[in-house]
Amino acid sequence: MSVGVLVDVMLALALVGLSLRVVTGRALFRDMVLFILFGLVISLSWSRLGAPDLALAEAAIGAGLTGALMLMAYRRLVEGGAEDSPGRRRSFLALPVGVLSGALVAVIGFAALGVERVPGAAGTLVLEELPGTGLGNAVTGVLLVFRGLDTMLEMTVLLVALLGAWAVLGEARPGRLHQVDRDTPLVAALLTSVSPLTLLIAVHLLLAGTDSPGGAFQAGAVLTGCGVLLVLTGTLRPAVAAGLVTKLLVIAGLTAFVLIGAGALAFGRPTMALPGTWAVYLIETAMMLSIAVTMTLLFARSRGLYPERR
Amino acid sequence: MSWHEVVGLVLLVLGCAFYGAGTVGLLRFPDVFSRLHALTKADNQGLLLICAGLAVLARDARVAFLLAVIWLVGLLAASVSAHLIARHARHAGSSHASKPERP
Amino acid sequence: MSSTIVYLLAASAVFGIGAYGLIVADHLMRKLLALNVMGSAVFVFILTVAGVTPEGPDPVAQALVLTGIVIAVAATAFALALMVRMHEETGLTSLTGDDDDD
Repeated sequence: MSVGVLVDVMLALALVGLSLRVVTGRALFRDMVLFILFGLVISLSWSRLGAPDLALAEAAIGAGLTGALMLMAYRRLVEGGAEDSPGRRRSFLALPVGVLSGALVAVIGFAALGVERVPGAAGTLVLEELPGTGLGNAVTGVLLVFRGLDTMLEMTVLLVALLGAWAVLGEARPGRLHQVDRDTPLVAALLTSVSPLTLLIAVHLLLAGTDSPGGAFQAGAVLTGCGVLLVLTGTLRPAVAAGLVTKLLVIAGLTAFVLIGAGALAFGRPTMALPGTWAVYLIETAMMLSIAVTMTLLFARSRGLYPERR
Repeated sequence: MSWHEVVGLVLLVLGCAFYGAGTVGLLRFPDVFSRLHALTKADNQGLLLICAGLAVLARDARVAFLLAVIWLVGLLAASVSAHLIARHARHAGSSHASKPERP
Repeated sequence: MSSTIVYLLAASAVFGIGAYGLIVADHLMRKLLALNVMGSAVFVFILTVAGVTPEGPDPVAQALVLTGIVIAVAATAFALALMVRMHEETGLTSLTGDDDDD
């Protein structure tokens, strides 16, 4: 057994152990923190499987963003007087369902592994056609050029999630959010150094994403991290209503896709045929901004944000 | 095995040892403050050693610079979060934050 | 090949654990955790069975999983918003109240 496989086995055991703790633990807060850890181990597994794009996305979105959203919701529950209910439902079905569904997944997986590879499979076709797109990163190529429609619908899902969250917002009182001590100089130092750094990293990820690991999703997630920091420190405050800029930013990704994708029709080309690499950059920038603003609004649980005036 | 590989591997192993010590401290120390003490001291040192080891192994100025940035950002994040946790623990009263009992 | 099998087995086990947790969990937040755990297992499963090309795992599968990760966080955010609102309205954090009758 080589060292690599040994690392894989350790990661796999960590995944199984952590997921057991996450779903059957007794202290909700601790198990949410363990879930973030679970996401980070998944991220390590992605890099072991040779998918650095996914490793970046999982660390930023799957672990970081999901964890931040969950911890924030948990705090809202606690502030609203909710009690941890460590109780479990007694169900005679649960154990058989768990065991059998796991076994089913394993059987399907081994059946799929045994299938002979077809030479013209989608993945190899993508790699053959990739030089024609002017992109170096095959994943970005699939997301924007070969399966652009999927990515457009993905932006729609994000928008629908935000609209849904707004719909169930009710008469929530905005402005009761920031509770981080800002009177300590360290937090101010963090803000002044990290905010520009996240912008830099986000733009770098976006530009690098055409040729190497990175892209709009990872960049958007990093930018969301900056937004979360600004919301937590009260530099951005939740507003009662969405301003015009907020609305435009939220729909920017979808709009860029629709305009460029449908614009191709006007010039007699197939729908979603992107006219060039500039279109990829334009769409990715718009997507990054949309993702960042949408996720920050979801985190702040508000319709808009306004900068604090001192 | 050339000299830089040996140096890099030694740095990596040393870094892992520091991380191990920090983790043991986190698990075994009784209250928030001593746990933070173990974690911040040992883990920042471990991160420095691992970054240095990787830089020596890579033998590339650009990679070394990026690793230095990673170390600095890690340091910043660790110090601010440790500071905030310690502040919160002090305001909340350390009895609330101490570990109940050991099995 | 063997590390593919390792991750495939791990994904199967984690999926089963998530399904079990989804049923037994009482608190809605824990149900969401279980659902997210199941989702991660599905992502690992997709990437391992999709096979590899000379340049790493199948890029189509990678893009699919990347899309899935973002959709999962969007769905989780909406579910959290629903949960917080439900708690504000009813003071409950679980669905146990509904099926006490049966």
